[in-house]
Amino acid sequence: MTTSKTNPREPHALPYYITDPTPLPSHIPSVPEIGATSAPLLSASYFVGARCAPYNEDFMLCRSQSRSGEIDCLKEGRRVTRCAISVLEDINKNCQAEFRKHWGCLENENHDLSRCRLDEAPLNACVAKFLNLTKVIPNSDGTPINDYETPSFFKNKVKAKYEQ
Amino acid sequence: MIPFEALLPYGVIIIMFGVAGTGMSAAKLLREGGNKPRVHRDAWDKMMMERDMRLTKEYRKQSDEPMAPEEFKTSSVWRASRIWDD
Repeated sequence: MTTSKTNPREPHALPYYITDPTPLPSHIPSVPEIGATSAPLLSASYFVGARCAPYNEDFMLCRSQSRSGEIDCLKEGRRVTRCAISVLEDINKNCQAEFRKHWGCLENENHDLSRCRLDEAPLNACVAKFLNLTKVIPNSDGTPINDYETPSFFKNKVKAKYEQ
Repeated sequence: MIPFEALLPYGVIIIMFGVAGTGMSAAKLLREGGNKPRVHRDAWDKMMMERDMRLTKEYRKQSDEPMAPEEFKTSSVWRASRIWDD
């Protein structure tokens, strides 16, 4: 064995896969998991953040303060999951077409939000109208993303493109 | 005036480049389900794509269901590595 103080364990390339089909114990309330995959979740993430901010912050605070991480914070985690599921249900009920267009664009563009602004504007408008949720960048001054100031050289071109 | 026979090799070269490029592009689109390939994948993207595979059982197929099927709760796979004790 080529172990030493600086390399206490030999590196191995072959992984060893662990699966565990046992369900959670019955004393823990069962909550459905979120069924959205990565692109719809990214598209809806700012709306989930707008509605579920208290629950999310609760969970993050609990997790950072607990010694074992998520195991002590299962109740807060259940609240987070339920709130996110409610946001996704509402978006699917009211704005499904715009939602699908936006995450279809994201899936094509390597999940780069800045390349899908044209599809994002109608989604933001629809969600603001039906769900009263606005997308706000945290730690910023709160201007909507489609109203950012453009440099004057590009102003006329960009304004004509994004004006709906 | 250049005889057309002299330009035939150029035509052949251009057509071969075109076929190769189109074939590569078509193979990539076929693999990725009509989307452009994912690039610059970091650990987060790999983790999310593995989760997508567990949810939809197909490479790069997305679903916007609010709730996951029951079997998703116990379908996680963890990787470990063996420590040999000689």
